[in-house]
Amino acid sequence: MNDDAKLHEAARRLGSAAAERLDIERVAAAVVERLRHEPAGAGPAWIQPTWLRIAAAVLLLVGGGVVLQTVKSPALSHGSHLVTDDLTDLTTDQLQDVLNTLDETLNLGSTTLPDADLEDLDAQQLQAVLRSLEG
Amino acid sequence: MAQPQSIAAAPLPAPDAALIAAWRGGDEQAAAELVRRHARALARFLAGAGASGADLEDLVQEALIRAFRAVDRFRGQCQFRTWLLTIGGNVLKDHGRRAARYKVVPLTEDEGLIARDGDPHERAEAGEVEARLAVGVGQLPRLQREVFMLRAQQGLEYEEIAAALDTTTGAARVHYHHAVKRLKEMLR
Repeated sequence: MNDDAKLHEAARRLGSAAAERLDIERVAAAVVERLRHEPAGAGPAWIQPTWLRIAAAVLLLVGGGVVLQTVKSPALSHGSHLVTDDLTDLTTDQLQDVLNTLDETLNLGSTTLPDADLEDLDAQQLQAVLRSLEG
Repeated sequence: MAQPQSIAAAPLPAPDAALIAAWRGGDEQAAAELVRRHARALARFLAGAGASGADLEDLVQEALIRAFRAVDRFRGQCQFRTWLLTIGGNVLKDHGRRAARYKVVPLTEDEGLIARDGDPHERAEAGEVEARLAVGVGQLPRLQREVFMLRAQQGLEYEEIAAALDTTTGAARVHYHHAVKRLKEMLR
């Protein structure tokens, strides 16, 4: 008997003895019983409650992160971060200058902007605006 | 002139498709009949692919339960038995992941994987070949193993195997060719 024939003969017989010992009627009864009583949802491992909980937790984390990222204004947080850094780096004199500039700008805004355009400002007022813009 | 013979026609067994339809309609006896028809072939397939004797009945049950639960996805692309055997392959794979042991089944007569009929001398020789073959089959990559078992053990055509495994006939042939080559090397 050549190798091919041996192989195929052996393959055909493989597992036969174990299969012959199987009690088919018992298997049929057990399968019908399980189909009748086990919930259909008890399926593959990946839809077991544990995995569903893990998947839900991951979804919440990722989704929550995305929502937070969207809600937070990137420009605002960036700007406030810079202002904080800048102010902490300033000396007392520099801080005083910044306050003065803010005062001037506020005064300028409260007196002229409601009533006039830039064209209506005199030279001193224009310089004040420019200074405030330069920061 | 020859008299026409009167032969009492035995009732034809219901085809699998009719039993599947009946099971879909809630007929438990149809499911039981499908088990009677295919459980032994499924057990042979699983045992040959490496299931231990101790686990065999549980694995057969599990594969059958999965098949009946998923029967709506069976579109008749292949025979019901072939489809069931591929589900058996998945069950065995999942079981192997959990137990990490089905590839190292001790293949002795006590395990019941090796046939024990025939002449004692021939039986001993055949038993040795089967034992080595079983070890070799267990070492094959999954697709090669399944194609080899479906072809060599179950005697299926490549077209049927390809349809069941959702691959091409050519790919099934290649897997079989590689499996046979490796197994022959192991048997030398």
